[in-house]
Amino acid sequence: MKKIFSLLSSIILFWVCADADSNNTSDILSKEYRLNGIYTQNAFGLAKEKALHSTVRLTRNDKLIAMGTIVSPDGLILTKASSCVGAREATLSSGDRFNLRIKKRNEDLDLALYQMISDRKDFQPITWKDDNASIGVSWVLSAFTELNEIRVGITSGKQRKIGREGGVMGVMLGSEGPSGILITEVVPQAAADKAGVRAGDFVQKIDGRSVKKREQVVNIVGKKDPGDVVVIKVLRKEVDKEFKITLGHRSVTFDMFNRNMQMSGPVSKRKDNFPLILQHDLPLPKEAMGGPIFNLEGECVGINIARVDRVTVFTLPAEIIKQKVDSFISNQ
Amino acid sequence: MFAKLVFSQLDKLMVIRLIFFLLSMVAGYADISDDKSWHKRVPEKINDLIAIQDRLRNLLPDAQKALVSIEASDGAGSGIIVSEEGLVLTAAHVIGSTGKKMFVRLPDGKRLPAISLGGSEISDAGMLKITKKGKWPFVKMADSGTSKIGDWCFGLGHPGGFDKERGIVVRIGRVIANKDETMQTDSRLLGGDSGGPLFDFDGNLIAIHSRVSQLPDQNFHVPIDCFHANWEFFKNKPVITYEKMQGGGFFGVACEEIEKGLIVREVIPETAAYKAGVQSDDLLLEINNERINSREEFIILVSSLKPGDEVKILLDRNGSELSVKASLGTRPKSEK
Repeated sequence: MKKIFSLLSSIILFWVCADADSNNTSDILSKEYRLNGIYTQNAFGLAKEKALHSTVRLTRNDKLIAMGTIVSPDGLILTKASSCVGAREATLSSGDRFNLRIKKRNEDLDLALYQMISDRKDFQPITWKDDNASIGVSWVLSAFTELNEIRVGITSGKQRKIGREGGVMGVMLGSEGPSGILITEVVPQAAADKAGVRAGDFVQKIDGRSVKKREQVVNIVGKKDPGDVVVIKVLRKEVDKEFKITLGHRSVTFDMFNRNMQMSGPVSKRKDNFPLILQHDLPLPKEAMGGPIFNLEGECVGINIARVDRVTVFTLPAEIIKQKVDSFISNQ
Repeated sequence: MFAKLVFSQLDKLMVIRLIFFLLSMVAGYADISDDKSWHKRVPEKINDLIAIQDRLRNLLPDAQKALVSIEASDGAGSGIIVSEEGLVLTAAHVIGSTGKKMFVRLPDGKRLPAISLGGSEISDAGMLKITKKGKWPFVKMADSGTSKIGDWCFGLGHPGGFDKERGIVVRIGRVIANKDETMQTDSRLLGGDSGGPLFDFDGNLIAIHSRVSQLPDQNFHVPIDCFHANWEFFKNKPVITYEKMQGGGFFGVACEEIEKGLIVREVIPETAAYKAGVQSDDLLLEINNERINSREEFIILVSSLKPGDEVKILLDRNGSELSVKASLGTRPKSEK
């Protein structure tokens, strides 16, 4: 009896030790166990399958430019309009490829509707999340760019409106004087720099209007949108010069100075002026915008519309998109 | 007969004991790998994910109440209140130096005056104190040694500063590594998150956000253990900077925290440690009769002495204690 007892207890102790050991052997959590590791991804089960099958890759010259969201069995795709200019082909997770035809664009929401050219009626569309109740801190997931994995994370921050950003030239203005307003600094690679404006130039006119004060410059430029062109007349070493500047985004331009942005990698060009967004932290590149995002039930809670920085993605919520899609489809 | 009876009674007793023992082992085992989803090695199915999500939602309100945004003259960061009187833990690079006046903002936007206390550039641990009298919401800190690799955690912060429209940002992840003065997680960070809190799934504070690199899984935090090991020092003394350490004493070992204690990995030739006969694999136990709790504490204690000062170091070599005396040297210029 005593022998069995001691044998049993030693087995049990060995068990416990083995278990403790297996939990503590490594000094670093291996990739598959991490938040976006393959084991964690697999726990998302059917929602993961749904994400992989209802998302498409949109390419131009075989280069990924955006992701798309299948919204009907006959192959209509919704995506981010400003990312998918010139999209030629859509690829499914199965590898099937289809040519694309653009149907509609909506600048307000930065959405575009495309048709995959095919007779098939068995594409797997997303199911929109039904109610528009705020979802709080919740798990969300999206397909990753190769459509063989997902990325997971949580929503956080309040649902909110994102205001409009005016255009900027990417210059710092200094003293005002009789020869104009001094440009003290030009942001490298930003709009003014690309047009040829240099530090030390004096601004005299913008779009034909004489300017004497810094605020005048800011007002004229700020009323325009990124992408608009302004004509600027400057005095450089006693010589008049004129440049055409295609304005940039404030956040993109001045973020070039910002350390956070150097750490973030490429972000979406348009990330402002949305009526309502959800915020989440999925690690997705800017080329993954336009794709759908799902909850644990596999319902589509929205479309990823802007990569803002290394930890922030904005999603247009389903409730905002649904009405737009309905009118898109009924007006075809 | 009598003897046999006694024996069989003993036998019965033994069987009963064994049953109890086995039952207790089963219970004990269940305790180790209980059914809580966030204690599993990986979430296995949707229900585990829902349990993790519900747990997070339950823990958030108390954690968020004590979060502050820190507004210094030269930048913004985050912090977390850990005492009713308003002691705030943050990152050393958020406060910069000791005795600076700054403001903290509570989640409702209320702005309170504060003053920076101490900390250390080695770990990036920093402290400040709300100077307005009051009873402030605070969180509980985890004990030293609580956090294990693989633990679920969540981070809070005010990235880019206080933003009423957006509110507090929450991020989830797991502890990837935890060594010496650095905890690494995949709970992601951005500038302005610096100094913000990281919690475990018991709702206790386990670390403070410090720095990032380009990869999404490279988010670094100051473990709460660093604060515990140097609590009075950080609270009452100026911030330890690399610059200040330059003039201090130098012992001459590379060491690392392991389960058994602080182990010497390398002895630099011709230094105080070398001359005193310190060897690789020695454990550093005490310096001048003061217990060494962490690598950072050891570095701080040594560099707060002067070159030429005598120190008494208690070592553990192959299981037996050994006391050595050394005369500290000068910190080499390149040392960081």
